[in-house]
Amino acid sequence: MTRIRLLQGFAPSMAHDMTDNMKRTRPTRSAAAILTGLLIAGSAFSAQGDAPDRWWSPGEGRVFPARLDYTNPHGVLRTLLVDGPMPTRGHPFFEPIGPNGRGCVTCHQPADGMSLSAQTAQERWQATRGKDPLFAAYDGANCPTLRQSDRASHSLLLDRGLIRIERPWPVREWNEKPVTPDFSIEVVRDPNGCNSAPGYGPQAGRLSVYRRPRPVANMKYLLAVGFAFDPKQGFALPRDPESGDQMSGNLMADGRAGTLNAQMEDAAVTHLGMTRLLSPGQRAAIIDFEKRLYSAQQSSLHGGGVDDLGAEGGPAKLRDSEPGALGSIGKPVWSEFAGWENLTPQSSPGLSETQIAFRRSVARGARVFREKTFLITDSAGINSPVGFGNPVRNSCVFCHNMTQMGNDVAPGQVDLGTTTMPFADPFADLPLFRVTCLKQPHPHYGKVIYTQDPGYALTTGRCADVGKITLQSMRGLAARAPYFSNGLARDLRGVIDYYERRYSIGYTEQEKQDLVNLMSVL
Amino acid sequence: MRRIALLFAMAAPLAAQAQEAGMIVRFITCPVYRDADSGRKSGCWLADDHATGTRWDVSQSPYKPDWNFAVLVEGKPAAEGGNSDAGSPCGGKVLDPVRTSILAEPCTRHVLPAEGFSGRRFVLPRRNNNPVGVARPEPQGLYGDQVFPVYFEFDRNFIVYQYSDWLIDRAVTWVQAARPKKLIVTGFAATDPIVVSGRSLTERPQVAQERADMVAETLRRLLPGMSVETHAEVAAKPTQEPEADGLPGQSQRRAEIRAIF
Repeated sequence: MTRIRLLQGFAPSMAHDMTDNMKRTRPTRSAAAILTGLLIAGSAFSAQGDAPDRWWSPGEGRVFPARLDYTNPHGVLRTLLVDGPMPTRGHPFFEPIGPNGRGCVTCHQPADGMSLSAQTAQERWQATRGKDPLFAAYDGANCPTLRQSDRASHSLLLDRGLIRIERPWPVREWNEKPVTPDFSIEVVRDPNGCNSAPGYGPQAGRLSVYRRPRPVANMKYLLAVGFAFDPKQGFALPRDPESGDQMSGNLMADGRAGTLNAQMEDAAVTHLGMTRLLSPGQRAAIIDFEKRLYSAQQSSLHGGGVDDLGAEGGPAKLRDSEPGALGSIGKPVWSEFAGWENLTPQSSPGLSETQIAFRRSVARGARVFREKTFLITDSAGINSPVGFGNPVRNSCVFCHNMTQMGNDVAPGQVDLGTTTMPFADPFADLPLFRVTCLKQPHPHYGKVIYTQDPGYALTTGRCADVGKITLQSMRGLAARAPYFSNGLARDLRGVIDYYERRYSIGYTEQEKQDLVNLMSVL
Repeated sequence: MRRIALLFAMAAPLAAQAQEAGMIVRFITCPVYRDADSGRKSGCWLADDHATGTRWDVSQSPYKPDWNFAVLVEGKPAAEGGNSDAGSPCGGKVLDPVRTSILAEPCTRHVLPAEGFSGRRFVLPRRNNNPVGVARPEPQGLYGDQVFPVYFEFDRNFIVYQYSDWLIDRAVTWVQAARPKKLIVTGFAATDPIVVSGRSLTERPQVAQERADMVAETLRRLLPGMSVETHAEVAAKPTQEPEADGLPGQSQRRAEIRAIF
């Protein structure tokens, strides 16, 4: 019942968008026909959720509206397209421009915060019996060598939302410059074959790791350069050879692409299977689209709208704000919800007690996020080599420090241990590598490291970077479980639980729930 | 308790002498972390000089210890808090200025609880870069020959956050205004052996070039098109440059950016 009420509550905004789209795409249709269409669409929306429109297949030719709402287990995610709506017919983000039938949109779905949830992958498997291009053998399977018709061959994508990422060995830098790594790598365990089958693995120059697709919305924040230096690497930020601008270093999990141009070329030849480069026009169109997209949770199942009664959640605020600000010297991170700290029934007419309690929990969660300090230990990128010391006492905002976004203003390559032993969960379905440092030992792991994904080290070739994964945006989390680069946390509570066991933070049960509630409205 | 008091009593005159003479305190030890919680970055770093039995508060180092490794401590007793434990926020006589270089020698981790010590509430250090959007003050004066030093941890080439990066930022601001023809970066290594806590310490000769390369690469990124040339020198001698804070060891571990017109 709650779900139906919520959907009904949001039907008008959806109707507005649909009306707008119809006017633009079918100008000759009569008002009566539009109304009829709306009623039919509204009926489907209420009775079955937004299922009919939820999946965007490449080449559909739908119009991308200026405002697009989709439900998720925590409420409604809203995506705004500045200067929208935009026809997608012929648009390279939405067309299957490669031979495998995929488009960029295949793994960057609006309903999933422009990422891809495991739930969506499962639904797609069921709807197409595994025939959707999403499940392409190259990277939508655990390995192309497996029998593609078996669900088990796609288990990493279906169960944890992981796409296979193939990286060259020896490594190449962000500018494709070959690097002589200061470590060797051996395969300890290869449950899927893509690190040991003929033609695969380090001997063949091809390493396979498995990662979650990263969202391609709110890009101005991810591209923002707040400071000229990368304190974690001890260099000034490198410059984009094309534009001459410094690069934020916040685009990809392993930092292998510093610009959107480089990122999309990487994606085109791998995920789309293209054998030629994107044309300048295609690149420009994709970048233009991605830079106009803002995506964030707009409404909570338990708390209602996230941008009223003093709160400033939702994507419109993201669209209208300047990116790249450090929360510690400006607007504190997640202070968007400070207005909810002292809500009372008197100050919140129309809200139920449950909604008020939820909102206050969100506001508490924001404070816990900023103010609950703990000892951060043995985490490269934080405890070494920056100079902060090991351990260092700080809170979540030490790294999640960009106002309104929660990514790192500096390039966010940090090792939380999510992919590396002994901190990572064992995950028998993922490969395990043994990395041996050939020069200086790793500052925290020593000479020999066991990792499921060396992360940033696969770009820099530096042993000290093993296990570092770039922080990402915290927006739209509700729509894109599971979390962390390897899908370690199945839900938002799983994120908190990981941090708790990694750093022995000592969160109370209430604090854990407050943090979950906070993340659910971002 | 009596033994501790005795140790403190014995150590106090030593510290007083060191302070009076402007003496450099230098030793190697395993660091101790005191989990004094006054908010973010407020924990204390303590270092025991075994030769004197003095527990020093070395928290003010711009590059802090790692609880898994020994540190080379270099510092001067602070004008306040360097002579006694009274009023110490961490439970040790204060070294300030101070440097703590992480060495390769492993240590047993040791964390002390706060035990009533408050630690220091974090304040932004003086050597802190502004965001890129904040205009730097225009350098004043004649743009003649000038050398900008950049300082490093012992035997490392890492550009330390809120210290070395600030020194480079100052140099870059000056270069952008002065527009020299090229820059020469000379890396130095302190290769003359010194004996500290009974051990002979020396930097690797190659760290001189590594430092020059690190600074040069950063300058090329910050000053596109600027010609940057590197040199290396070993057997570095101390200098009197103020940003080394009067610590001879720190002044030796440097790179110099020299502008050529």
